[in-house]
Amino acid sequence: MDNTHPLLLTCLLCVPAIAAGLAAVTARSLRAAAFITAAGIGGGSALGLAAAVEAGKHGTISALGSWLYVDALSAFNLAVMIIVYIMSTVFAFVYFKEEARAGAFSLKQARQFAALWCGSFTSMTLVLVSNNLGIMWVGIEATTLLTAFLICIHSSRHSLEAMWKYLLICSVGVAFAFMGTLLAAASSRHVAGFDIHQALLWTRLRDHAAMLNPALIKAAFIFLVVGYGTKAGLAPMHNWLPDAHSQAPAPVSALFSGFMLNAALYCIMRYIPIVEAATGHAGWALTLLAALGVFSIGIGAAFIVFQQDIKRLLAYCSVEHIGIIALGLGLGGIGVFAALFHTLNHSLCKSLSFFAAGRLGQRYGTHDIRLLHGATRNSRLWGTALFVSLLALMGVAPFALFMSEFRILKAAVDAHAFVLLALFLCGVSVVFVGMLSKAIPLMWGESTVSVAAPDIHTRLEAGLVVIPLAALLALGCWMPGFLGTALTQASDIIRTGAALPPH
Amino acid sequence: MSETCMMVLIVLDLALLGISMVNTGILIVGLQGALLGAFVIAVNAPALSPRLFVIACAGIAIKGFLFPLLLRRTIKEANIQRDMNPFVGASLSLLIGILMLASALWLGAELPLTGVIRAPFTVPASFMTMFTGLFLIIARKKALTQCLGYIVFENGIYAFGVAAVGEIPSLVELGLLLDAFVAVFVMGIAIYRINQEFDHMDADELRSLKG
Repeated sequence: MDNTHPLLLTCLLCVPAIAAGLAAVTARSLRAAAFITAAGIGGGSALGLAAAVEAGKHGTISALGSWLYVDALSAFNLAVMIIVYIMSTVFAFVYFKEEARAGAFSLKQARQFAALWCGSFTSMTLVLVSNNLGIMWVGIEATTLLTAFLICIHSSRHSLEAMWKYLLICSVGVAFAFMGTLLAAASSRHVAGFDIHQALLWTRLRDHAAMLNPALIKAAFIFLVVGYGTKAGLAPMHNWLPDAHSQAPAPVSALFSGFMLNAALYCIMRYIPIVEAATGHAGWALTLLAALGVFSIGIGAAFIVFQQDIKRLLAYCSVEHIGIIALGLGLGGIGVFAALFHTLNHSLCKSLSFFAAGRLGQRYGTHDIRLLHGATRNSRLWGTALFVSLLALMGVAPFALFMSEFRILKAAVDAHAFVLLALFLCGVSVVFVGMLSKAIPLMWGESTVSVAAPDIHTRLEAGLVVIPLAALLALGCWMPGFLGTALTQASDIIRTGAALPPH
Repeated sequence: MSETCMMVLIVLDLALLGISMVNTGILIVGLQGALLGAFVIAVNAPALSPRLFVIACAGIAIKGFLFPLLLRRTIKEANIQRDMNPFVGASLSLLIGILMLASALWLGAELPLTGVIRAPFTVPASFMTMFTGLFLIIARKKALTQCLGYIVFENGIYAFGVAAVGEIPSLVELGLLLDAFVAVFVMGIAIYRINQEFDHMDADELRSLKG
């Protein structure tokens, strides 16, 4: 039985939206902009967590005639999103405080940042809580439009170039996804008793999935994977990603890599059970995803080896990890569970590494890895944070990323997908070697640049480093019961479409 | 009536490929937008609800008038030169246009859409429009022409949606229109800012970020 929570879900969308409006119009000082951002993101996060907990308790919650709908899959993604937003918002305060001190962050920029930041929170939440696939698409497109100007908060030739590429490639890509959405709706036209007004509701499509026109739903899925895959950074549609990630300010890069890619991938996840049921569970959609996943791992690995810019390196690392997640989804079975677990781990770790890259960038005035040699001695906290997060990202045990990748490996063995397994292992080995060769000099290399500024950091900064690393370490050794349940329920939705009965 | 709309849509696509001035391009894209609004009315003519009529009018207003207005303003404010500055010249573009039309017709015949599409000839016309949009994005240098290409691409999808899905809920439809509007608006601002920084807006000059 659905439980309706109209107030909770509408407030969840309204609070950050109102904060965005307030920030754009009323913020008269940097402090006011910071306060409004904190209130908007804090309020939105509290409501979002409440919605996730309610969904966990009752199985699903819905509102506004099932247009808003939260089940275990959306609840899990909502929780990951909130973690990334809270971390990135706190980091944004630290980061822009330093910029303001250096005179590089004006009130106008602060206002723009606060409004777009809260606005993007709303649009990503809209993606996660929409039951209507059309509105979900609107949310993704809104995310593109709202975050485009976050890339060029600091207006420069490079950041404008990155912004234009992002805006154009993602808009066109996401338009493909809209074509896919239309085809998915069209595939239900011949189903008797199917109200055309509800053709875009996910729950309706799921319930009638076996009766959909298989050829049309296949065509739809190809458009959807190309479209949402562009936004998710799946190769070969990833061209915008390294530019946008490297040119955006660090908190924005962290958000992009930490959650925006996941939001687009979430849209693909929603379609998997429908397409699989419509095509008779032949594994057609899964094969497509696994192939794209392995290709992305390969492209990510190939480019990581040659990167000299730390943020571009991290961006290609995101392409690789999104590939790993897609591969896990494509393998099915335990792979889906592992893929979802990997999204959480990757989001935590990648946000942290972008924080570190951003702070070191402020300290050194560059993102060139060769100039960051010996960074752990020069900036103990952030240098170490970058070094350790790079280790975690390349899959060193006992961090949680190792565990989730290991499970995906196991899923590949279970599915007898030995070609995929070999390609996956090749890819991650190349990444391991490539990233290790960049990471070691950060720790033991001779520093070539002398930095005069004293190496001091606040407790808040220490918390930003220690908490995610401790979480990654803990999750690597032990999976808490509630997380295991949440992941199982969410992966069941992707595998079968059905939500488990409440318990 | 709906068939005529689709024929005109294809003719406008071919015209877009052949022209050399940005202003003419904006005019044609506006005409396409207005045409699509008329198409919504034509397809649903037997049972036109007031709701659909309002949405069609909103489409005509936004796609037919607001977009051209926004783009003209961008041209004026950013002081952009009026020629398209193509990578691929007009005659070759037209030749490619014929090829695109052929493949659109082939796709229309191949896709299993009988019984789904409510107006004949929509599938090839909408695919032709999408191809034209993508071609403009790839083969024209100016950022503004790429923006035009995006609108044309969206027009193609819109035509397909009207014929294949028909009535989708108004909220979704309005969301789509709003998104398209904001996209063009944001692209306009982006072009303005790029122009300020670079003193030009040839997208092929935006190539310092590599690898």
